[in-house]
Amino acid sequence: MFRKSLTLGIVSGLLAGIAGIAYSRVYYQINESDFSKVVSAVKIVAASLFGGVLAAIGYTLLNKWLKNNGEIVFNLCFTLISFASLLAPIAVTLPKTIDTPELFPGLVIPMHFFPALGWYTLKPIFIKSK
Amino acid sequence: MNKLFYPVAAALILAGSAFTFFAPQNWKIADGYSITWSVVGSEAGGIFKTFTGSLVFDEQNPATGVFDMKVDAGSVNSGNGLMNKHAKSDEWLDAARFPVIHFASRSISKTAGGYQVTGDLDLHGVKKPVTIPFTFQKTAQGGTFAGSFTVSRNDYKIGKPGGDVGEQIKVDISVPVTKS
Repeated sequence: MFRKSLTLGIVSGLLAGIAGIAYSRVYYQINESDFSKVVSAVKIVAASLFGGVLAAIGYTLLNKWLKNNGEIVFNLCFTLISFASLLAPIAVTLPKTIDTPELFPGLVIPMHFFPALGWYTLKPIFIKSK
Repeated sequence: MNKLFYPVAAALILAGSAFTFFAPQNWKIADGYSITWSVVGSEAGGIFKTFTGSLVFDEQNPATGVFDMKVDAGSVNSGNGLMNKHAKSDEWLDAARFPVIHFASRSISKTAGGYQVTGDLDLHGVKKPVTIPFTFQKTAQGGTFAGSFTVSRNDYKIGKPGGDVGEQIKVDISVPVTKS
C-alpha cells in the first residue's frame, strides 16, 4: 500500500513541479516580474515533491486508521491543507530588492494546488478503487 | 558712463570667475542609493525605491551646502504586497494625497563625527524641522553621503498613536554621488 502511494506521491510531486516551473515561466512572460531568486526551479520541484511525499504518508496512515472513510478524510485534509498553506505566500516578506511583491502571491498560490491536482489526476492509475 | 563700463565689466568678470573657483560642488545622485526605514523595536521595515534631489556640498565649507531631496511616498516597499498597500493607504502615508516626502536643508555644519544638516521634513502634510547627522566619504569620481535619523510617526500624524506598530521610525540613507 505504502509503496504504491509513495510512487504516486513522487510522480504527482514531480509532475506538479514541472507544472510549477512551466507556470512560473508563463507568469514571468505575462507580468515581467522575476521571482527566480526567491522561487527557483529547484525550490519549486523540491516543494512539490515534499507535498507529494507528505500526501503519500498521510494517505497510507489515514487508510490504515480509518478503514472505510480514510480516502474521504484524506481528500478533505489534502484540499484543506492546500488552502491553508496559501497564508504563507500572502504573509511572506520578500527581499526589498524585489520591486513587485504584490505579484508574488499570484505566482505561488496556484502552485500550492498542483500537488493535490497531480495526486487526484494520477491516483486512478496507481491505486485502483476498492 | 563709458569710463565706468570697462572697470565695472572687469570687476564683474573677476567676481564671476572667482565664484566658480569657490562655489560649492554640485553632486549628481548616482544609482545604488538606498533609503531604508525600520520601526524601532520591531522587524517591520522597508525601503523607498524612488528618490530625487539636488545636493550641493563642499567639505571645506559645509555651511554653503544645500540639500533638497524628494522621495516618492508611493515607492515604499516593505517586501510584502499587502503591507505596501496598507503603508500607502490613507491610514499611513496617504500617498495619494501626499505623494512626495520632501526635505529641504536650512543649514549644514561640521561635527566631531562628520557633519549635520538641519532642515524641514515635509511628510504626510506636516512640516517639521529635523537634524540629520551624516558622513561624506569622498572618492576620486564622487563620494557617498550616509546618514541616519529617527522620527516619531505621531509627530507627522502617520497611523494611529499606540497599537502594534512602534512610534519611532529609524531612517537610514546612503546616497552615492558623482561630480556634476
